[in-house]
Amino acid sequence: MRDRYPEPGEMTVGRLYELVGQKLLLTPANDEDGFSRSITSPDISRPGLALTGYTHRFLHDRIQIFGETEITYLSSLGSAERSAALGNVFGFPVYCCIVTKGLELPPELTSAAAGASCALFRSPRDTTPLIHDLTGFLSEVFAPRKSVHGTLVDVFGVGLLVTGRSAIGKSEAVLGLVERGHRLVADDIVRIRRTGEQLLGTGDTLMGYHMEIRGLGMVNVAALYGIRSIKDKQQVDMEVRLVDWSQKPDFDRTGLDRSTTTYLGIKIPQVILPVLPGRNLALLLEVAAMNFLLASRGVDVPAVLDRRLIERMQEAGG
Amino acid sequence: MVQQTVTVPNRLGIHARPAALIVKRASSFRSEVTICSGGEEVNAKSIMGVMTLAAGQGTDLIVSASGPDEERAVQEICELVSSGFGED
Repeated sequence: MRDRYPEPGEMTVGRLYELVGQKLLLTPANDEDGFSRSITSPDISRPGLALTGYTHRFLHDRIQIFGETEITYLSSLGSAERSAALGNVFGFPVYCCIVTKGLELPPELTSAAAGASCALFRSPRDTTPLIHDLTGFLSEVFAPRKSVHGTLVDVFGVGLLVTGRSAIGKSEAVLGLVERGHRLVADDIVRIRRTGEQLLGTGDTLMGYHMEIRGLGMVNVAALYGIRSIKDKQQVDMEVRLVDWSQKPDFDRTGLDRSTTTYLGIKIPQVILPVLPGRNLALLLEVAAMNFLLASRGVDVPAVLDRRLIERMQEAGG
Repeated sequence: MVQQTVTVPNRLGIHARPAALIVKRASSFRSEVTICSGGEEVNAKSIMGVMTLAAGQGTDLIVSASGPDEERAVQEICELVSSGFGED
């Protein structure tokens, strides 16, 4: 399945259930009244303290997790106190509630949730791993993001973001890469999200794995080249910017100068590649990816060659 | 054709970075530009060629150019070399 994260503004309880319900083993314990409620924060809350009546700093605009602590506490109360305790929580417009570890639902919890039109889920999963997966998902949804005009392709495991003006040949170059067995992630619009210290790229959900090739129109890469030619998401490791040769850019002739570019605050290496008719761009992009792999293993080819040259000159000069 | 001799002044000689500077400068002219050292002649617009010279400090280089802007090509490349490329 393609990685289809909703925009942060579109995130609701219903979408959460649809997207991670299976992974978190969620079962709805009431009807869908609460499904339209928006989720606007990636954080979760354990409402234990709020149940006891201390609601001063209660983080109600969170997904509320009822684990063993909360349920055991509720069980220790009489029915009337239990309803009062739950009233402390459901007096606020909480996003939704998840009861973990397959714990039995106190009937007062079910009715309080229903009364507040708040979705209530059960999961047999342990609390900590469930919270881990849930926050992992939500932090991806709420991650800083931007759309970039370019093409993202996985070349030997290296995520190459190919950019450049329209019609410079990005798609053709990437088609050449696919032909050589590499995998297309996104063409034309690359959606980049920052998760932690890395950039993750995906395609547009509507456009799928289609590319526009001038003169041929839209082509479907997945249909033409099969499952091995496509990939849902890929870390963005480096940018290759295609530029017109005629612009005579001050491009690097040695590879000694490592230039970088920044997306969403993360710095990645950038290579400026001048385009000329007859240049085999797919081959050059492959070499750029291999150079990246060498460099990430600490092999700096131009620097090694430069050192060898300097040594030679010093030997000759005595 | 225009020709001029220049001596490599910097301690490290024509290693990769100076070679890249020479090649970039040479590429900005329309003339054919060559550099000759120790009997070996290379195209001044080729980075691998210029590096192959392995021209260390004190080496004499013969810079030649032929074409519409040969005068300026030779002059500018000789100036670049004698400037020491901003190195010691």
